[in-house]
This record gives sequence, C-alpha cells and structure tokens, in this order.
Amino acid sequence: MTRLTRLLAIAAFAALGAVGAPLMPLAPMAEAQQVNPTAESVTEDKLFQALRGDQMIEGRASIPDPKAPGLIKPGNKGWADTHTGTIRALTVWTMIGMVALLGIFYAYRGRIRIDAGPSGRTIKRFGGVERFAHWLMAVSFILLALTGLNLVLGRSVLLPMIGEGAFGALSASGKIVHNYMGWAFMLGLALAFVVWVGRNLPKAHDLTWIAMGGGLFKKGVHPPAGKFNAGQKLIFWSVVVGGAALSFTGVMLLFPVLAGTQADWQLYQLIHGIAAALLTAVILAHIYIGSIGMEGAFDAMGSGEVDLNWAREHHSLWVEEVEGKSAGSQGGGRVAPAE
Amino acid sequence: MLVKRRTLEPARGSLAAMAASVAAKPVDRRSFLRASGLAVGGLAALGTLGAATVRKAEAGPMNHALPVEVKKNICTHCSVGCTVKAEVQNGVWVGQEPAWDSPINRGTHCAKGASVRELVHGDRRLKYPMKKEGGKWVRISWDQAIDEIGDKLLAIRAANGADSAYLLGSAKFSNEGAYLFRKFAAFWGTNNVDHQARICHSTTVAGVANTWGYGAMTNSYNDIRNSKTIIFMGSNAAEAHPVSLQHILTGKETNRANVIVIDPRFTRTAAHATDYVRMRSGTDIAVVWGIMWHIFENGWEDKDYIAARVYGMDQVRAEVAKYNPAEVERITGIPGDQLRRVAETFATQRPSTFIWCMGGTQHTVGTANVRAYCNLLLATGNVGGEGTGANIFRGHCNVQGATDFGLDIANLPCYYGLGAGAWKHWSRVWDVPYDYFVGRFDEVPAKGGRDPRTPQQNMEVSGIPSTRWFDAALLDAEDVDQRDNIKAMIVFGHGGNTVPRMLDAQKGMDALDLLVVADPHPTTFAALHSRSDNTYLLPICTQFECSGSRTASNRSVQWGEKVVDPIFESDTDYAVIYRLAQKLGFADEMFKNYEMVQGKYTLEPTPESVLREINRGGWSTGYTGQSPERLKAHMAHQDKFDLVTLRALPDAPAEVTGDYYGLPWPCWGTPQIRHPGTHTLYNTNLHAKDGGGTFRARFGLEKDGVTLLAEGSAPVGGDLTDGYPQFTYGVLQKLGWDADLTPEELATIQRIGGNDPENVANVSWSIDLSGGIQRVAIAHGCIPFGNGKARAVAWNLPDPIPVHREPIYTPRTDLLADYPTRDDGRQFRMPNIGKTIQDKAAADGLAQKFPIILTSGRLVEYEGGGEETRSNPWLAELQQDMFVEINPADARSRGIADGGWVWVTGPEGGSKARVKALVTERVAPGVAFMPFHFAGWFQGEDQRGKYPEGTDPIVLGESVNVITSYGYDPVTGMHEGKVTLCQIAAA
Amino acid sequence: MARMKFLCDADRCIECNACVTACKNEHEVPWGINRRRVVTINDGLPGERSVSMACMHCTDAPCAAVCPVECFYTTADGVVLHSKDTCIGCGYCFYACPFGAPQYPKVGNFGTRGKMDKCTYCAGGPDQDMAEAEYVKYGSNRLAEGKLPLCAEMCSTKALLAGDGDIIADIYRERVVTRGYGSGAWGWRTAYGDTITV
Repeated sequence: MTRLTRLLAIAAFAALGAVGAPLMPLAPMAEAQQVNPTAESVTEDKLFQALRGDQMIEGRASIPDPKAPGLIKPGNKGWADTHTGTIRALTVWTMIGMVALLGIFYAYRGRIRIDAGPSGRTIKRFGGVERFAHWLMAVSFILLALTGLNLVLGRSVLLPMIGEGAFGALSASGKIVHNYMGWAFMLGLALAFVVWVGRNLPKAHDLTWIAMGGGLFKKGVHPPAGKFNAGQKLIFWSVVVGGAALSFTGVMLLFPVLAGTQADWQLYQLIHGIAAALLTAVILAHIYIGSIGMEGAFDAMGSGEVDLNWAREHHSLWVEEVEGKSAGSQGGGRVAPAE
Repeated sequence: MLVKRRTLEPARGSLAAMAASVAAKPVDRRSFLRASGLAVGGLAALGTLGAATVRKAEAGPMNHALPVEVKKNICTHCSVGCTVKAEVQNGVWVGQEPAWDSPINRGTHCAKGASVRELVHGDRRLKYPMKKEGGKWVRISWDQAIDEIGDKLLAIRAANGADSAYLLGSAKFSNEGAYLFRKFAAFWGTNNVDHQARICHSTTVAGVANTWGYGAMTNSYNDIRNSKTIIFMGSNAAEAHPVSLQHILTGKETNRANVIVIDPRFTRTAAHATDYVRMRSGTDIAVVWGIMWHIFENGWEDKDYIAARVYGMDQVRAEVAKYNPAEVERITGIPGDQLRRVAETFATQRPSTFIWCMGGTQHTVGTANVRAYCNLLLATGNVGGEGTGANIFRGHCNVQGATDFGLDIANLPCYYGLGAGAWKHWSRVWDVPYDYFVGRFDEVPAKGGRDPRTPQQNMEVSGIPSTRWFDAALLDAEDVDQRDNIKAMIVFGHGGNTVPRMLDAQKGMDALDLLVVADPHPTTFAALHSRSDNTYLLPICTQFECSGSRTASNRSVQWGEKVVDPIFESDTDYAVIYRLAQKLGFADEMFKNYEMVQGKYTLEPTPESVLREINRGGWSTGYTGQSPERLKAHMAHQDKFDLVTLRALPDAPAEVTGDYYGLPWPCWGTPQIRHPGTHTLYNTNLHAKDGGGTFRARFGLEKDGVTLLAEGSAPVGGDLTDGYPQFTYGVLQKLGWDADLTPEELATIQRIGGNDPENVANVSWSIDLSGGIQRVAIAHGCIPFGNGKARAVAWNLPDPIPVHREPIYTPRTDLLADYPTRDDGRQFRMPNIGKTIQDKAAADGLAQKFPIILTSGRLVEYEGGGEETRSNPWLAELQQDMFVEINPADARSRGIADGGWVWVTGPEGGSKARVKALVTERVAPGVAFMPFHFAGWFQGEDQRGKYPEGTDPIVLGESVNVITSYGYDPVTGMHEGKVTLCQIAAA
Repeated sequence: MARMKFLCDADRCIECNACVTACKNEHEVPWGINRRRVVTINDGLPGERSVSMACMHCTDAPCAAVCPVECFYTTADGVVLHSKDTCIGCGYCFYACPFGAPQYPKVGNFGTRGKMDKCTYCAGGPDQDMAEAEYVKYGSNRLAEGKLPLCAEMCSTKALLAGDGDIIADIYRERVVTRGYGSGAWGWRTAYGDTITV
C-alpha cells in the first residue's frame, strides 16, 4: 500500500510535470534541475483524488506497530455506515420477518399433530453422540445469538432499560461469553457435520418433498422422506455453511493478527454480521418446528426416541429402512413397545 | 466549559460500581515513591481495567488539592536552550507545562524536551555507586568508591605520571561544572581533558576563531527570522535542533525566504527546503568553491565589505578559479548550473545565513570545510548583521559553555590557550601561585627522537584528543608524546560509542588500569569491554537535580533552577569533583574561593559562587557581566524580551533593561556596567554599548605588508572610526583615555603588570582583573579586542586556503592523484597516518569491496551516545531498532527488504554490524546512512547482560562507529564520522 | 460554544514527535499505546510531508455510531470522549475510525484487546473532572483547567494547532496567504465534512 501511495504520488508529480513540459525548452537548464520540496509538496487533495477517496493514505512511521503508518482512510466511514445501517436493518428485519412468518404460519396451521395419533411405540431416532452435538450447538448458538444481538441492537433496546452501568457490565460479560461459546459451537458444528453429512446428501425424493411443501401446509399430506427430509437438509446445510462462515470470520476477529489488515477485519465483521442475522432467522424457524410447531418433534432431540407414527408420517423412507434392516437381522429389535 | 454527558452513578450496575470504588481509592503515590526509593507502579494493580490501561502514574498526576511549585530549568538535550517548566509537588516532579515566556522556545519542545520529566523518574538510572569485582557488578558506598578511585589515581600518577589519567568531561555539565572540571585537570596537572566538542564542533571552533576571532555561532536562532536566504549544509536541524525550525520556518514564511539544503541525504530539513542539492559526502570545499566560482565570475561578491573588513580574499579568489563548474561536477556530482542558482540567491538575496553542523565538521578536512563556509559568508558580506552569519548549531545543551570553559586539550577556560600568560592569568584568578601548577605537571623524557619537556613546557603542550584516547592507551609508549600511555579514563557524562573505531576503543578499555564512569546512566564505557576489576560507576544526577547556568548555541547564558533533589544515591557534579579533589589532596586550594554548603552527602560549592569566580576571570570572552543575579532576573522576566532581537522590551523591569536575553557573550566588563550582551557578533551597525562588534584583531597588525586592521569600518557611535588593535593599558595611555580609569582599576592593572612600566603597558583587556580597560573602551564605543579584519587566509593552519581533499576511504580513487589527503604527521602527542591508510585502501581496492558510502547522523528521538534517551520509554518506543538507510536500487540488487535484517561490514578490522534495513529514497544509490545513538549490540552480539542489572537501556542496537574508520583533522583531532565505505548484505 | 478541532500544518511539521512524547508525559500513556503518531507521506521524495495524527474528534463520529455499547459521547466543545467503564474492547471503533485513533492495551488476540484508549483532547472522561479516577483511566483534564491539549501547545514548529475550529482555520488560512503554499488541512474533509479554502 505504501508502494501504491508512492506510485500514485509519483504519477501525480509526473502529471504536473507533463503540464509544464511544453514550457521546458524555453526555461533555462537551471530551472529544470531545481528540486524544490516546498513547491513539490504532496497535498491531501491530490492524494485523495489519486486514491479515489476509499483507500488508505499511508506513509512511514517509526513505531513498529503495523497500523501506525496508516494516516487517513475515509472509507472506514463506509464500513461504519454499513454496520450501523445495513447490518442493523438486516438483523432487525430478518428477526421481525421470521417471527411474523412463524406467527402467520401458526395462525394458519396451528400445531402440526400426528395425523394417526401417537402409536404408543417409539423408534430410536438420535443416539447420544448426535444429541450431544445438537445440544452443544444449540446452547452455544443461542448464547452466541443473544450476545451477538446485544452488540447490534442492545444499545437501542437494552441500554435504555437497564442503564449504562449494568449494560456495560452485561455487555462486557456478553463479549466474553461470545468469545468462548464460539469454540463450543465450532466443536458441535464439526461433530454434527461428521455424524450427519452422509444423511444430508440430496436425493431425488427431496424434490418431491419440496414440490409438496413438505406437507406442512395441509393436514394429512406426508411426502416421503429419509432420516432427514429436504427441509431439515436445508437447515443442516444452512447451519454448516452459515456456521462455517461464522466460525471462520469469528476466529479471524478473535485473532486479528492472523486476519491481516483493517480492511480484512471489516470484511470479516460484515460477513459475520450478515451470516449471523440469516442463520439466526433460520434457527428461529427450526426451533419453532422442533418445539411448539409440531407434535412429537421435540422427542427426537429430547429422549432420542420418537413415536413410530410420527416417524412414519414424516420420515417414511427412514422408518422403512430401519424396519427393513431390523427385520432382516434380528426381528424388530430396534422397535420396542412404549409402555 | 465542558458538558459531561451524564453522571455515571445512577445507572451503574453493581460490577461497575465496584470497579469505580476501587479505582477511586486514594493512594498517596508521592509518599509511596519516596518511601520505596524506586519507581514502581503504585496504581498498576487497580481496578478492573487491567494493568496496561492504567497509567503508570508513579509521579503523576497532579493532586489539585496540593500546592504546586513551578521551577524553570533548561532542556538537557540539544543546544537550542529550551526552557523547561516543571511543576513540583512534595518534591516530586508531577507535570511539565509549556514555558510560553521563553523567547527561545515559546512553550515548545521536540520529542526529547517534551519527555525530560522521565529523566527524574529514572527507572533505568544508575542508582548507587558500583564497581566490578571479578567480572561482577557490586554495589559500593560513595566513600569506598572515592577512596579506591583516589588511591588508584595516585598510584598511576606515581608510576606513570599525571598525563596517564585522561579526564573526559561533558557537554552536559553546567558552566560551573565544566569550569570546575577544567580547573580540576589543572590542579591534577594534565591537559588531557576534553569533552564532546572534540567530536562535534572542534573544527568549527578552530576554523571560525581563526577567521574572525571567536569560535561560536555569530547570530541566534531567533535572528534567522530576519534572513532572506538560508543555506543548510551538513545540518539536519529538523531532527537535531527541532525547535530552531520554529524560527526558521516562520522566517521562511514571512520573508518568503529561500531555504537551500545541501546534503548527501534528503533529510527532514530538506523536505522543507525551496532548493535541495544532493552532493557527495566529503566534498564540501569543492561545493563551496563551486558556489564562489559563480559569485566571482558574476561579480556578485560584496566588494566594499571585503575591502573594509576582510584580509586575503584575492588569494582565495585565485584558488576558487580552479573550481570551475566542470571540475566541481567531477568532484561533487552536482551539475554546475544548480550551484549557479545557489550562488546567485545567496549573494544577491540578502541577508543570507549559512548553517552547518557535523556534516561539515566531522571530516579529516573539517577545519578547512569550516574555513570555506566562512569565506563564502565573507565574500558576500554576510557576517555581522541581522539575518546574516555563521549560524553554527551546536550539539549538546551546554557544549558551547563547556567549550568556553576549556574542557579542551588546548585551552584554559575562556580560550586563553595554554601559554604562560594564560596560566598566570588563571593563577591570579584562582589565587594559587603559578609555580604550584608547574609542579603538578609531568616531566616528559625524550622519546621517539623527540625533545624532552620540562613540566613548564609540558603544561603548554596540548593534550590528546578524545578521539584518540584508545590509541594513546594501545600504541607503543614511544609513539605517545608524553611520559607514558593513558592508563586511567575518568569519564564524566560522555558516551563511548560516539567516536569511530570502536573495535579499537574496546581494546583500549580493556588495556586501562582504571576506568571510572560518572554518569546518570552506565554508558557504553561501562558495557563495551570485558574488564573484570578496577571499573567504577558513579551515579551523577542530571542538571534537573542541581542548579547552574548553561550556554545555548547562540551564546545566551540561562540559569537552570534545581527541580528536585538528586534521585536515588546520585549526586551532583560539584560534589563529586569536590570529593575527588579532597581525596587527591588539592580541594582546599581549588575550592577556597567558593561558598561551600552542605550538599546531599558532602560539602559542595554553590554554583553561584563558582559563576562569580568565572565572572572575575572570563574577560577574554566577555563572561564577566553574567552575574548569577542578572541571569536569574532574565529567567524571571523571560516574557520581557523581544522574539526577534532578543532585546528587553520597553516595559521590562529595571534589572533587565536594555539587556539581550541571556546576556549572550561577550557581555563586557563587570556586571555593574550593565553591558547588554552581544546578540549578533561583529555587528558594526550597533554601538558597543548596545552589543555592537568588530572582527577581533587577534592575528597581528599586518601580514606581508598588508594591514590586518579594519579599514573605514567600526561600530557606530564609537570614538574611533577605523581599525584599531586590542586595548591595553598602553593603548589607553596613547589615546589619552587612561585618565578614565578609577584609582582602584589602575592599582589592579599595575599589580598585574608587576608594577613594571613596560609590563603594565602590556596589561590587556583580557587579563585586567579590574575590568577597567574594558569599561573605558566600551565607554568610548570601542570593542576591547580591537577592530581587525577577518582572515580569508589563515596562514597558521595546514591549508591556509582550503583545498578539496578526498576522504581517507573514498569511492573515487580516481581523484586521489589530484586531491590526496594530507601527508602523515604528528599532532596532539600522536601520529596521524591518514595518508598511509588512504594509499593502502586504494592499493587494496577497498572501494570495490566496499562500494557504498556510509555516513551517519542524528535521530530526533535520541541524543549523543543515546544511553539516556534510549532508557526513556517515551522516546525508546519511537525508535526500537538500529537501522541503516539504503536506497531502493541498492536494496533490490542485494535482495534486501524494508525492515529486514542486514549485515553492514566496514573496511577496517573486519568490522560488522547487524541492523535493520530502512529502504528509502532519502539516500542516493551508493550511499547508506546510520544513526549514531545506538550501542549495546556489538558485532551481532547482544551485550545487555553486561550492564548492571536494571540499568540497561530499553533499546539497544549496533553502533555505527563500529563501522566508521580512521581519519583525523590535523588541526583539532576531529574524527572522520561522515564518510567511510561499507558493504551491505541481507542477514 | 467553541468547537474544538485539531489542525496539522504539514508544511510546518518536521516529524519531531514532540506531540507524541508530550502526550505520553501528560497522561503517562503506557508503552504500546500511541494516542498520537506522526506519519510521513512520500518519505525521502521531494514531495515529502509529515502529518501528526490522533483522534480528530469528528463531527458525527463513526466510532460513536458503531459502538455496540454506546460508550462515546460528544461534549459541548465538540470533543469525542468515551467511557472505559462501559467499553467492552470489541474493536469496532477502530474499524470505523478513518484516522486509526483507537488504541488497545493488548495485542488483540482472543478478544483480549482491553479497554479502548484514545486521544481525549486532554479533556479526561466521564468521571469527575480532575479526579484521580479520571486521571487513571483517561489521563489529565487540561480543558477543565482552561488549557489546550499539550501536544499542540508543545509542538516545536507550531505546526499542530488545537482550539476552536474557526480560529485555527483562520490561523492556517493566514499562514497560507503569507507564504503562498499549503498542502491542506489534513483530515478535515474526512472528520468535519469541510476543508479550509484560501
């Protein structure tokens, strides 16, 4: 960048020289040789023009801090505007939008029941490792989301309510929580990816599922699905992609020295903010459908055992697969009566 | 009026409230600091903020409930003389405020001045006397230190002679300290007494004094505001004298003045020039003669001025004729037309001033360089008026005063020289028989084919320059023209890394029988060597911890008031010199004229009483009018002096009426006659009573049948309107002015003349202790030292008219046939074999092996050897690595990256230094620059462990003077610090 | 009411760093924190200029806008200050600042920047004026004592000007007229949305 600044400055001088060039043959030699540092002084205006206003004016400073030689970067205000404008708005509107959507959906559909009613028999859906991965992610994500939201919206919402002192202390603790929970989230994410990626590869029947809206909008409609239906796959991949983006940018923000320059930090911070807003919205929907939105869904991650009818309705292919497998081997050993 | 957003308390959560209650808990730092003796962060453990956010705060902030004492002292770094305004509470220096009233700095500072308060926090200071015992530093008491040092000195005196002890003094002394140190050397019986002036402006003093009388800056920093053209040559004032730029840039702006910078390096000063000329290092004479060639060619010289006030310019003109533009370009690399423009500007857009520093002085031709600069000024009539002059920016805060008071191998205080007359003058002032001093000096046996010397002869022979002390310790005793080699170094306030050939300096340190370092910090002298015993460190306080006067570069004398008591176990120069004198047995004689008071541990003289003795003896330099009372009145009424003329304003109180600020010397006569001091030297436009002057008639009345007295020029309003010789009682008699002497004055003159009529007639203005001759001369509007011509030709110097001579290690061996260095010779008791070395370097093809010119200079953050400033965290943080500046082209061809490590190797003794590369266009291709303030790394080795624990400077680095090489000016022994050859390779 | 601003006259600045050490001295700023720094543009070239830079106390300060805990506030003098009690060291103000002013006591890894520190225009912080707690957190409060920032007061060449924006703009304008050149009021357009025309 120093090089660039210098090159541009030289170019600016050269341009000045070019203006004077037609006069040169008339001027005496002595004038041509004069080095006049006062007259040739670089000016802020020229540098800005040369840099088109969005790059850093950089020079030399003897302090070994790599940030010290940067003098002025008006473009940082652009980041500030994006941060306070776009990111804040995106966060607010995705949150509000998702809550509103879910509200409308609930009003329209209500709680999705097991059409056939509970069978009284359960089937093992998620083992300990799977549930551990899920809850590790879930708890950490909620904490991350809350503390993250506080950074974006807290000063507008929380600060007026609890006052500066409490808000400062809370936010400081929140930042620490955010910094540490990130690691828990990343561990959960990695685990979940390993245990579930195989089940989340797209299949042809996923298209049917999507075409039928997952049967969510109409009672009694149950498109076939494997262990994960297309909607869950979408959530999985949202979490994987969004979580990876958040993890990467988060780590970069935690270790700014690794990340590079201020411009890199700004970029990572923007990605982090956008990804967080979007993923939070997705997770809101996930939480809804996994809890109040659908009867019998929570058990999958609660006890790990789900009602057989629920499973047949929502994951028919998986149930067939499990039953087929157990029939082929030991005869229904995996499907036990619920007593 | 500030508006606080809101008070915090109502909205506070419990955590924050807890933090605040802890942070607000009162801690009495001052009592803590005083009790602990050492500065430790008293508040560092506070609160929830974490240590690093909390200010160190051991000596701040101000407690607004306590009374504040304000003390004024002078910055202890460069020679500009900035007033430091210190706020003191309970004996702790808690704040530094802008000293708006000072006409010199008007509240401002540079990085160093703005951080001087840290010097008396002193985390890294030497805290108590120490010595080396079996290679380990151990703490000892002052009594033990003085006893052991004294015993060893006396043993060396008996075995090797008085001249075997080298007394290296300091430009950091106050005037009184410097004067006492010189007096100490006289009582000890040696002329081996020197200080930093040797390595900064000794060649200036010699060159300028030999031209027009006094070796000092002719005008002042403030007066440069009047200049229309300003040349900086070999001066980077923006970094070396930053506050001076306030006056220079204001002058540049208001007068639209031309600022011409001639330098091998595009410096921070050059960045503010209107004309920058890049020259090859070491070719100053050719450049100046090249400028003068155009002046003479075009008739731009000031013919009237030359006729009235200059001797020998025709001979210079003849020499200059050889330096036509083609030849000058061949030597210097500057296209001739560039110098034509410089010549025309300088000669025709007057008043013009010429500023130089160590870029000009630190050369084998340093004195000749200075003489060439003077000739340019004389040819254009630019000496002796407002806005003109040789504005020699001195280096250290009191290098001018220390020079004036003879911390010099060739002078007693105030430039009296070493002749019998000088010794007798000071014997009278000191009230000690002349024979006493004769008895203190060595008899020198015949050695190396040279004549023997009696003690009386030996006391009149100049000592060994500080640039050669290690040669005097290492060379065969036959080659050292005194009784024996140097065996003991007593170093007060002087770095060990500011002189070239540090490989040899290290050997020299190892060879000594005794090494004593008296300094606030252990300098390179304490860490470079591998001595195991007989090495002592004495903690001396800074000038902020004692009172005394110091002389700024412009000759203004300023009184510094003690800010705080000496910290730790450090003590004042005055006390330590007194103790040593006591141990060595001459304290009673030496200190008998002073008011002695109880100091920190012992009796010490008051600086006021020392200054009064200086006033009684400093006639030759006009150091007689600056009484402590007058100096203190000036400090109290700093705001009453004009910014440009430095003269007291009309509303000034009676005690400073009519004075120039700081009574710049010469301040003639006794304090009672109230001479105002001399703002601009040699200025005939003012009456003698108003600080007017003439060129000093010190070179005789005529030379080769041509008069050396001024013709038709004299200070305005004087009774004599033509040239005249220096005033003696005899001259007064001839003029019939002897009747103006009071009976008391006459009696004193007759006593000095031994009541012998012929001797009485010869009693001059400079040895008349009554001041009567000066008083009468001034009353008649005449200058006591006569009214002579300046000498364009100084026939007593090796090159009476300067000629270009190539540096010892030159890349231009093709020029050696035409411009060789001077032949080998002997100066200052030592051989100078520069020619032999130059020839050998050329024969060995060193210019091919070491193709880059290496030059050196200052950084704004550090000063001198740098121990003090590199120990100050506020400064050290700004320059954390020693570096070499290298041009991008040279860096590219060597695969060197900006900020990468490189080895710089030098042409002598396999010298090498590992430093960081600073790739920059500041230096031209084929030129490298290194700052000279670093030490503590040596040839790639980190020497941090060699400093006593806790006293190692924060920043260490290689010294440039490991690489710099042989070369000495024949007139002063100045080293060649600005040109050597080197090679640079990526490390 | 005055509107306090900084103006560095780059045609006077000689990179002497007095402003930097004066700041360290006045506030006992620890090693590693540089509330003010001097940057040299076009180093070693004829167009070289040095500019002393610190917090410019912007109009509509972007740091204040992005601060998640709203720890910034602007005084009636136009000085932008912040509360270290509230600051959580997130670093956003540094991302947003066009002048690189915010400093952090730690290197910044693993979210451990510590409380942000920056130039206070020698005006302390939200604690009680000139109290010890204010000094410990923010340094001294010269404005409350009726003094201007020490960096500008001690500037060797009077390049760095501090004071009411209109007054220092007039001083600068007069200088430019007198001397006939001026490289501009560095940072003004960015900080205050206008510049000084001569």
